[in-house]
Amino acid sequence: MSTKVTATVVDSDPSLYEENHVHQVYDQIASHFSATRYKPWPIIAAFLSSLPPGSVGLDSGTGNGKYLPLPIERPGSVWTIGLDRSRNLLRAARTAGQSTREVVWGDVLGKSWRDGAFDYAISIATIHHLATPKRRMDAVQRLFECVSPTHGRVLIYVWAIEQDAQSKRQIPTSTDQSALGQDVFVPWVLTSQTAPRKPNRQHVRDEADLAVDTQPVEPQTFNRYYHMFAEGELDELVRCAAVNLGLAVGASETDADAGIEIVQRGWERSNHYVEVRRWRRA
Amino acid sequence: MVRLITHNLLACHVKRCTTNNFPLQLKDVQLALREAEFNADFLRGFMPRLEWTALVQAACQVGDDSLPLEAPEMVDDEFLKNLHHVLLEIHIEEGAMVCPNCQHVYPISNGIPNMLLAENEIG
Repeated sequence: MSTKVTATVVDSDPSLYEENHVHQVYDQIASHFSATRYKPWPIIAAFLSSLPPGSVGLDSGTGNGKYLPLPIERPGSVWTIGLDRSRNLLRAARTAGQSTREVVWGDVLGKSWRDGAFDYAISIATIHHLATPKRRMDAVQRLFECVSPTHGRVLIYVWAIEQDAQSKRQIPTSTDQSALGQDVFVPWVLTSQTAPRKPNRQHVRDEADLAVDTQPVEPQTFNRYYHMFAEGELDELVRCAAVNLGLAVGASETDADAGIEIVQRGWERSNHYVEVRRWRRA
Repeated sequence: MVRLITHNLLACHVKRCTTNNFPLQLKDVQLALREAEFNADFLRGFMPRLEWTALVQAACQVGDDSLPLEAPEMVDDEFLKNLHHVLLEIHIEEGAMVCPNCQHVYPISNGIPNMLLAENEIG
């Protein structure tokens, strides 16, 4: 059983590929995954703490909803609505932080919001699960479209090829690490304590079957698909998404009528991140 | 969960369904009432972001007629309490949301709305 990250190639229909190597995996590992994801990352927590009271936002790819209770110092002053493709993860998200949350079962490529409905949107460790450059850019466009054209803020985190020194991950170096990033499989191992028991109760015929059912389950390995981002790749995605929407890229002093400004960007804990603000000339 | 705070943001996104696709019509709903922490700052800040008519209409569909037909200029405590109740304390546990334009049905089950579309329905 290997826990090594391995290179992969998206060799089938991308939505089918995501269904097999992302959606189904998360639905199966949901409870184990959720138990290991509870600590908010500092830059994201600071972003949510900077929002004025009354703000409403979208967490697109909320997973187990760990960001929904924030900001922790003034709960309930802003509302984040969690969207995810995995129904099993949403089960955890809807009670994240011991309170009832708003969650929606949907796809990050969907557009199930009225235009500009939100004050902010976050997309944390989600877009790297989409299997083509076009789909990743579409996901960024959806984020820009769902926030206010006058003040909407968007924060995006994706996994980087460049890993933290403390990261235990070994990254395949077989292929050329150009500006194109790297497609990989990242294994998730469900051990005997955490693997779901086979739902075969209704088929139990005798005591022997029952005995089999209570045997320790072999560790199961699930390969999750990731696109690891190269340096600069996320910025380029953001730029292209803006251009596609007819938005200028830069501060609001430029000649254009509407645009996006990159407020901050960087690399933190094996991830690239970028924060964008939409603006429109009055 | 689907509370009216979320309903007020959702729109139909079936391919080419771009007009009259909001608000989704609530149908066959089963409700649960749960107390939520009152936060006046949130409500005052969020009010201008609401589609008011859609909220009043949805509140009527779930049997609450406490809100005025037009958003008030001056907000008092009693109004904020009603708004709080409508937005955050009425949970739609089961039922559906139907697009007024294309009639697409988005089911709600165990408090979670299903906004997924088939690949060929996505715009």
